[in-house]
Amino acid sequence: MARYVMVIDSEKCMNCKACIIACQQRNHVPYGISRNWVHETDSDSSPCGSKFQPGACMHCDDPSCVRACPTGATWKAADGTVEIDRSRCIGCGSCIEACPYHARFRHPVTGTADKCDYCHGSTPGQTPACVAVCPVHCRIFGDADDPSSEVAKVLASRKAVHIIPVGSGAKPTLTYLDTTTPAELPAGNTVSHPVDTMRPLAKGVTWVGGLVLAALTGTFVRQLVKSSEKEDEEIAAEKKAASSADKHEKEDNA
Amino acid sequence: MIRRHSRSAMFMHWFNAICWIFLLFSGFALLAGEMQPVGQWWRNLWVGIFGDRGLLVAHLAVGTIWVAVYVLYILLFCRREVLPFLREVTTFHMKSDIEWCMKKGLWLVVGPKRTMKMGIDPTLPPQGFYNAGQRMVAVIAVIASVGLAVTGVVMGFFSGNVDYAVSETVLQWCIFIHFCCAGIMAIFLPVHIYMAALAPGEGPALRSMFTGFVPEHHAEHHNPLWYASLKKNS
Repeated sequence: MARYVMVIDSEKCMNCKACIIACQQRNHVPYGISRNWVHETDSDSSPCGSKFQPGACMHCDDPSCVRACPTGATWKAADGTVEIDRSRCIGCGSCIEACPYHARFRHPVTGTADKCDYCHGSTPGQTPACVAVCPVHCRIFGDADDPSSEVAKVLASRKAVHIIPVGSGAKPTLTYLDTTTPAELPAGNTVSHPVDTMRPLAKGVTWVGGLVLAALTGTFVRQLVKSSEKEDEEIAAEKKAASSADKHEKEDNA
Repeated sequence: MIRRHSRSAMFMHWFNAICWIFLLFSGFALLAGEMQPVGQWWRNLWVGIFGDRGLLVAHLAVGTIWVAVYVLYILLFCRREVLPFLREVTTFHMKSDIEWCMKKGLWLVVGPKRTMKMGIDPTLPPQGFYNAGQRMVAVIAVIASVGLAVTGVVMGFFSGNVDYAVSETVLQWCIFIHFCCAGIMAIFLPVHIYMAALAPGEGPALRSMFTGFVPEHHAEHHNPLWYASLKKNS
């Protein structure tokens, strides 16, 4: 099974934003929003006064968006991609809130969560639009487990850098080469509290519900073996017998 | 025989039962990962029958019918049935209700003979139209139903609605409340089913949910306060 990874040599990026336009075009993302971005940071060491950092969904390992989804509409696929199934998505926005990279958004037409899927949805099997269009070839995409792929070669020969938002604990797979600016991203809200609380609650329902069912089954079996109703009848018969014996005794004494 | 349930009440009971079971089962099947309380097999089973989208659509469709029929019932039978029912189930007599619940539990689990050996008189405190357990579950069911209906309507209408959008925080709280209400009912529903359909001595009460009538001796034994008030009024 392939393990797809996107690698970015951000030092090459000249902020032409062709990757953003190409992605919007191929994936029918309405203008004004985008699945990918280029962060601009002021820098004296850059000839143009700014450093550029292209990015998109980081396709994290153990992604917080997947943990936040109550319906299983998003998941980490075996090929390394974090996927979304729109037919399962109820548009609650928990995953959007949970992503520390703000890589997700609510699609204004479908009303469901949307983000980079390496163009799997629009053009399966093809190179992602942002990679194909980049004029300086700063984005590289492929199977990191295939030693002959370009991705595997650059990962083997150059330093891999990951940017992680402060305190998020994210494990991104999107990799920058050698150096990138900014080196880390500011902390942000990564938890949807109401939906996050559902996890321990679901465990509670499982355990309490299981115990109740076990108790009811036990009671049902107990009643089959020895019915309380029958015991009531026996008690009533015993009482009746005792009272008639008492009556006879009183009559005898009289 | 004494009339215990009207035709409309019987219809609403069974309509409610069918909808509740389907909505509870399909609703749990919509959940995934650590939020799935039954297990992944449960989700796979239901998705296998309805498909991913089909399951959500079926849950929404049955939920909409359930809410619509209930709203109609409440509007049409508000004075005749709904308000008297609410008055009846919210009339608590704490001491005797707790005593009834504990003694009924002992009666079922350890039996009356052992209860007597424990030094406890197994005689249950007299009950009205509904016993303490029924009233407690009814109040929980009413609160959970209102919670489920309101949050269900909000989610059904606003989820994925691009024309009339609502804050995602509202939707997330709706999912949470919807899940809490369903979770509570998932625990109490089996108790109600056992106590009403399988527990010894409840046969006439179960049959009355189909016929509307209970034998006089059953009412006298199980609901003596209601029986006494019927006698007094007649």
